Amino acid sequence: MPTENPFQDALRFERRVPESVVVIFGANGDLTKRKLLPALYRLAYDRRLGAGFAVVGTSRTAMSDDQFREKMQEAVQQFSEDTKFDDEVWRAFSQGLFYVAGDIGDPALYRQLAAKLSEIEQSRHTGGNALFYLSTQPSQYARVAQGIGSAGMGKGKGWRRLVVEKPFGHDMASARELSDRLHDVFEEADVYRIDHYLGKETVQNILAFRFGNGIFEPLWNRRYINHVQITAAESIGVEGRGAYYQEAGALADMIQNHLLQVMATIAMEPSASFRAPSVRDERSKLLRSIKPMKPEEILQYAVPGQYGPARIGGEDVPGFRQEKGVNPDSQTDTYAAVTFFVENWRWAGVPFYVRTGKRLPKRVTEIAIQFNGAPLAIFNADEAQAVPNLLILRIQPEEGISLKFLSKRPGAGMNLRPVSMDFNYGSSFGERSPSAYETLLLDAIIGDPTLYTRQDMVEASWAVVEPIQNAWRETKFDFPNYAAGSWGPDAADAMLARRCHVWRRP
Amino acid sequence: MSVVAPEKILKELADLWVTTGKEGGEADTQGVLRACSLTLVVISESADDPHSLGETIAALMPEHPARTILIRLTGAGDRALDQRVYAQCWMPFGQRRQICCEQVEITCADGALADLPSVVLPLAIPDLPLVVWSRCTRLLAMPEFRAIADMATRLVLDSTCRPDTRQALERVSSEIASGRLVADLAWTQLTRWREMLAEVFENRQNLARLTGDVRVTVGDGGAASARALYMAAWMQDSLRSLPVAVEAAISSSPQPAAFFVELAADGLTVRLERRDERLVTTVNGLSQSTHLPQPDNYLLMREELGIAARDPSFERALALAVRLAYATDK
Repeated sequence: MPTENPFQDALRFERRVPESVVVIFGANGDLTKRKLLPALYRLAYDRRLGAGFAVVGTSRTAMSDDQFREKMQEAVQQFSEDTKFDDEVWRAFSQGLFYVAGDIGDPALYRQLAAKLSEIEQSRHTGGNALFYLSTQPSQYARVAQGIGSAGMGKGKGWRRLVVEKPFGHDMASARELSDRLHDVFEEADVYRIDHYLGKETVQNILAFRFGNGIFEPLWNRRYINHVQITAAESIGVEGRGAYYQEAGALADMIQNHLLQVMATIAMEPSASFRAPSVRDERSKLLRSIKPMKPEEILQYAVPGQYGPARIGGEDVPGFRQEKGVNPDSQTDTYAAVTFFVENWRWAGVPFYVRTGKRLPKRVTEIAIQFNGAPLAIFNADEAQAVPNLLILRIQPEEGISLKFLSKRPGAGMNLRPVSMDFNYGSSFGERSPSAYETLLLDAIIGDPTLYTRQDMVEASWAVVEPIQNAWRETKFDFPNYAAGSWGPDAADAMLARRCHVWRRP
Repeated sequence: MSVVAPEKILKELADLWVTTGKEGGEADTQGVLRACSLTLVVISESADDPHSLGETIAALMPEHPARTILIRLTGAGDRALDQRVYAQCWMPFGQRRQICCEQVEITCADGALADLPSVVLPLAIPDLPLVVWSRCTRLLAMPEFRAIADMATRLVLDSTCRPDTRQALERVSSEIASGRLVADLAWTQLTRWREMLAEVFENRQNLARLTGDVRVTVGDGGAASARALYMAAWMQDSLRSLPVAVEAAISSSPQPAAFFVELAADGLTVRLERRDERLVTTVNGLSQSTHLPQPDNYLLMREELGIAARDPSFERALALAVRLAYATDK
């Protein structure tokens, strides 16, 4: 019996996609409609999924397969941003959509799901491979995993994998507790903790940029890099999620996961290969090298903020405490800026400034790497020194890379001016970039966990974030401390000013 | 006779950057960015739709920025050779900055073909690959083609251009035999088809059925076209690694008119067929439909320009396709 596909052509074909079924818990929720189904449809449209590929949705709402298909069709039509809706492609794809209604606390649901999987395995030849995607409340993760295990679905003829969305716990203890519960059913290697930031093309491109080119890596250390700024700014407020956000805050919602992962990608050592264990080991090692702050350092190195009301573009914008569902005395951080230091030979002494916030002037995520100035200013000292070399890796909205350097202005005299060498992902490559969910779902189906977070990374992140979180909880801040539409509290500027640095205005 | 000196063209290219830089500078004080990752020599006939060709080249530039040398053969005539240079620019950063590629257009009468290599060669950018894309042109059959092909790190041909498929495949084969890296756009057309067929056998149950007798049928409206021969040959070659007896045939039936591929084994029937802009894959009655745009020169060249290495699957399929063409001719 053949074991290797004789038709594969590594030179020209995209990666192999095994036959499988994706089981989505919380299939009537926003994430399924806005992200998961549009991503899966796009993969089908792009010929990335096999003919027998199937999706089983489950949630409490009673629905037939056909009603589920109809609902998902509406979602795909509404939320597929740059994909043409093709009736014929949808018709074939939707034949593989199934639905099972039930309460995730009810063991009967899992028995029904097991029966459905077995039926699909026969009718669509999915080979017993199943990916369980938990798009439910985080508090339900452990319960769903246990339900899967009790019904015998954690193991099967093929592979079984579990995808969970952040947050992975709300502190170190809860992260460990969650992990233990998941490990009762799934091996760590089969748990895929999704961080959609890592699925973005530009975050992946950081690896290509650093380790595919010979010219930058020699500069990538404390000798040449002055400091690094990582910014994830959102222009919107909490948008009806006030009650949830009040419990999380910017530090836990963004820095503990997304931004520390981005920082790890920027600062990690080159891995021995691009295999998942090597890359994840290096990322994990970096996270473990971040210096945890002593209690007396925290208020100096970490600045929380909360937006107050303002008038933006002729419109009155409420402050966080005026948002629906938010306690009028809330101490939740809607902004967080932290100075991290990495304790290794490469980065000793280089500050990594990380900031994130809601209701900032624009939606932008970028990494700015500021290089040291020339050792001797032989030109007009003021001009040359004022504009350092900057390498900017833009993650959103326009993915790309810019390098700023000085150039002589044409004409008599030696006048310098900054110029920018730009690479734009969208326009430099004619083709469309896949969405983060397309990339990550495909990776999970293929079994490539490179861009997923491992438990040791989660714990390493909590190890640096938790002390800050605890210190902030014990302090009463004079909130709000920044106006909606501004770049955050003055204290964040002061944090950089102590080292004669200033925040970039992206 | 007009004289086209490479130095003159290079000087004009340098001047072009000064002019373009000034224009860009006036607009937003940020100048222009020159991008180049290869030299692309495109050989075309004057009858080739210049507008369509220009659009194809322009579309390729963002992903494969190149100094393009477009050679237009004007047909019989004296030793007339002419040239013009211009920039191909696009504005990627929200109208903030232009990225530009150089384009040189050389028109050449048959009488001046012998002079062509001496003009083109010095225009190649050092240290970067040089790809020669010979469109459906008479030059392929002329001795002067040899000197131009010799410059190429990769030669892109298209077997569908020639009326005699077997001769066309033999020609590609002879170029490979002479040690060149060669691509054939008739083969490139098949990538998505081959990929979808391969995807069917990612399913282990389907893979397990590849035993005993396997029958492969490829149809292209009844014609033994280059792509039909390549597809049948590739499937035959791929199945060589398995203990199966393969029978490959090109359907002589004019129906269906659209390209299709069929594989039949014990307990397994796979059919791939085009329906408008879609590729429909049916495995034992279970169908899947995916988007498959009609292959145009842009899509095909875009794929080929992304490949710098020898393509062993193609070379093996070509060797078998030539044999299959002989068998079909008989």
